[in-house]
Amino acid sequence: MTARRALLVATCVAGLAAAPVHAQVADRRDEAATLVSKALEFESAGKHREAIAAWRAAMAAGAVLPGVLGLERVFMVLAQEDSLLPALDTLVPRFPAEGQLRSVQLRTLTTLGLDRRAAEAFAEWRERAPADVAPYREYARVLLYNNRAAAADTVLRLATEALGGTRGLVLEVAQMRAGIGQWRGAAEAWRDVMAAEPYYESAAVYSLSGAPATQRDGVRAVLGAKGAPLGATQALAFLEVQWNAPRSGWTVLGALAPSDTAVAIWRQFADEVERARAWATARDAFAAIHAVRPDADIALRGAQAALKADDAVTALRLAREAAQRIDAVRQPVDVLPVELEALARLGRAAEAEGALATAAPALGAEGVRPHQRTIAWAWIRAGDIGRARLALRDAPLDAEDAVAGWLALFDGDLAVARGALRNTEVPGQDAVSALALLNRLPQLDRSEAIGTAFLALARGDSVQAAQRFERAADSLPDAASLLLTLAARVETARRAEARAVALWTRVATEHARSTEAPEAQLEWARALRRRGDRAGARAHLETLILDYPGSALVPQARRELDALRSGAALN
Amino acid sequence: MPRSLPSVRLAVAALLLGVAAPAGAQHLLVPMDDAQANHLKAYGLAFGALKDDIRSEWLLNYRGGSFLLPDLPSLRRAAALAGVTFEGADAARVDALRREIAEGNMDAVPLEKAPRIAVYTPPDSPPWDDAVTLALVYAGIEYTKIWDDDVLDTDLSQFDWIHLHHEDFTGQQNKLFLGFRDAPWFVQARDRDLGTARKHGLADIPALKKQVADRLRAFVERGGFLFAMCGATETLELAVGARNVDIAGPFSDGTPMDPDADAKMDWTRTFAVQGAHLEFAAGVNAMSDIDGHQVNVPSRRQPLGTFTLFGFSAKFDPVATMLVQDHRTVIGDYYGVTTSFVRKVLKPGVTVLAHEEGAPWVKYIHGTYGRGSWTYLGGHDPEDPQHNIGAPPTDLALHPNSPGYRLILNNVLFPAAKKKPLKT
Repeated sequence: MTARRALLVATCVAGLAAAPVHAQVADRRDEAATLVSKALEFESAGKHREAIAAWRAAMAAGAVLPGVLGLERVFMVLAQEDSLLPALDTLVPRFPAEGQLRSVQLRTLTTLGLDRRAAEAFAEWRERAPADVAPYREYARVLLYNNRAAAADTVLRLATEALGGTRGLVLEVAQMRAGIGQWRGAAEAWRDVMAAEPYYESAAVYSLSGAPATQRDGVRAVLGAKGAPLGATQALAFLEVQWNAPRSGWTVLGALAPSDTAVAIWRQFADEVERARAWATARDAFAAIHAVRPDADIALRGAQAALKADDAVTALRLAREAAQRIDAVRQPVDVLPVELEALARLGRAAEAEGALATAAPALGAEGVRPHQRTIAWAWIRAGDIGRARLALRDAPLDAEDAVAGWLALFDGDLAVARGALRNTEVPGQDAVSALALLNRLPQLDRSEAIGTAFLALARGDSVQAAQRFERAADSLPDAASLLLTLAARVETARRAEARAVALWTRVATEHARSTEAPEAQLEWARALRRRGDRAGARAHLETLILDYPGSALVPQARRELDALRSGAALN
Repeated sequence: MPRSLPSVRLAVAALLLGVAAPAGAQHLLVPMDDAQANHLKAYGLAFGALKDDIRSEWLLNYRGGSFLLPDLPSLRRAAALAGVTFEGADAARVDALRREIAEGNMDAVPLEKAPRIAVYTPPDSPPWDDAVTLALVYAGIEYTKIWDDDVLDTDLSQFDWIHLHHEDFTGQQNKLFLGFRDAPWFVQARDRDLGTARKHGLADIPALKKQVADRLRAFVERGGFLFAMCGATETLELAVGARNVDIAGPFSDGTPMDPDADAKMDWTRTFAVQGAHLEFAAGVNAMSDIDGHQVNVPSRRQPLGTFTLFGFSAKFDPVATMLVQDHRTVIGDYYGVTTSFVRKVLKPGVTVLAHEEGAPWVKYIHGTYGRGSWTYLGGHDPEDPQHNIGAPPTDLALHPNSPGYRLILNNVLFPAAKKKPLKT
């Protein structure tokens, strides 16, 4: 017997002994327990027909409530819920005070769509127990489960009238309000629920996550109000993650005073944003946890998140803090790769080399070799191609390795770069641009001008990169339009609008038949729109559509033209 | 300014749009069958031509209800910019086309003058709140927004065509009080309407909306074209028919509905419906039994099916034919506050334009009233079948060939058609 089944039997038998329904059958407890156990076994084995017979026998032996609940489960599986009604019609009048029987009756009638009978059953229960909250709670739950929030609203109103309030029904009120789109009211009810029972935070998040964008500020105001219970704050933070605003979520939680509880919540949140790949937020959450409760693994996760958020400075700091708390065996395996990657991105190649040298005795020659590639990349970022090559002296790269491709490109060796860059693990915009350029010049095997331009780009020197691409365009007419486009993209990215427009203009006018011309028209139009020159922007969009009807950018141009005409905002 | 090479670039554009555009073609044929890349903007092209006093023809039942326009550079340019497919047609092709039209159930209807369009919608409503304004904006068709003050204070005869935003003319705000009474947008709308009512010396919102409904009825009676969708259809009928009886629940005017309201309705005043029964329960989110789908009443809600457009004789029944021009005859249904019209409550003179096969309801109806005409289309948004409050707006750029939205634009254009004497 599985543990779950054993628990079910125990629960049923214990229930048998406790509830008033069971009082009269105490002398047959053993027989009933055996039958319940047998019925559960049939149920677990998927023998539904046999389970029905066994549950009926258990009921006859006195296990009325377990029998009804068992039959309800089996009939639901068989989609024969109506078969339960004759039994309920007999049992409810026999045990009128048994709330669980009445709950089953309401569930069954509502599931079958017998709304009038369900309403009558509810009315009868209310009449019998006028001061009891149970009829309202159970019927409201059944209706909410069936997505009938408006009907649940009616039931809860009746509760207010009859009981003088919805005390004991706050959970149902919260769910009902969310179901009918009263998002602010739902948030208020959930806040009240969590004031008493903070563990309902997940349910609140699930319930409120469907709030449309226009209603979310109301939810934020309620859950984030001063004095709101901690559960509400936590729910709001997780809602922000659901609403694609993880940074706002961390703003809410980051303000909590450090404590064991706060750290526990931060950990949950950090796990969540890590899953959501919100790296910058994950970095901050892990860093905050580590600051309060220093922990090597947390610091390492923060460092990794920082790297993914392109924040090498924080990654390096956290990696080094992790290194202080981690044993010597794990250091080269877990910390060193993160530290080297961060240093490489920062162009701190000498430090990276030093760190690798320190770890070398523990790593051994075979362990050092894989890191040489990172060291080479660090020297590339530092702008020293010679040292990069030197770093690879003892760890020669495959000729087809992407790093070798980049080195070749920076060196102006286009022939080698053309083959090797195809193997870039994660082709970013730089790799795509480089490959496009190399394929535009299939006969050209060497070009210092192209090499230095890409090297400047790799070093993060966008001013130099743009200038060098532009200069290269003068000497390489076959790829001039693409080189000017690369320069323009760099200028656009660094928001040097005037320089960018001058370059886009050159592409659009001097190279009007090139494949880059439509992009130049689109970007030119966008630049004009940003300056408020709508007529100019419109003219360029129209030129794109009319002169380059085969361009893949035409649908986008039409969309932006429509937006210009209607005055709609563009993303 | 960009270089200007209109003739070269238009020829390139035309070729790439899959178009044969012989030099010296005298007409542009804008096909509206599956060859058309953007059906919705094609209406905007035809409308724009009318605005520029360029006459055109609507070729009813010919290739999905095509348009025949003069071959002008400005029109070619507009079509290319909008992504509308067109074909050059010389005199011989046009002759052949006219012969084909003469021999079949087709007709060529001249389009003479751009109708003056008004949309009854709250001043601050965004275009995506309503399928018609969405279609008009996407197609590039100009319109004027009017609201209660305009309807009550200005001369509506300055407009040829009025569309009704999904308003509740019974003044009960679609009974949304039940679920949204605390929602800021609901409170704002209620306060705004109440302010307007008081400004016009009226006690409450139901009284205001009844008066507005009656002005709209008079607009049609005097020769106007009225088009309504969603809940505006049903509630306009109820408001007009309830001129002298209280049909609003206590949550909207403080007094209960007249218990004899059903019997006191004056169906002689309404456009489309007679003998319908009002919904008296305040807790039931329905106005009457006019709507077959009752989307907001869980126990009555009917599932969505498909509806079929009827075919009409283009030569003898051109108006109905215009209203059903489409490249599809069977269209997926979509919910609205009022999704459909139960057949048994329709007046005998109503023309059913589309129905759901075997269902007791119809989707799309039309009729005349006084010297004008009205058209009702059930549902809220043809490309958003469920349309929940707060759902993101429909982006028509993703639905340029929407057959459902074509029905709306047929209605916009048909007042432009020159009336021809019927062949009797």
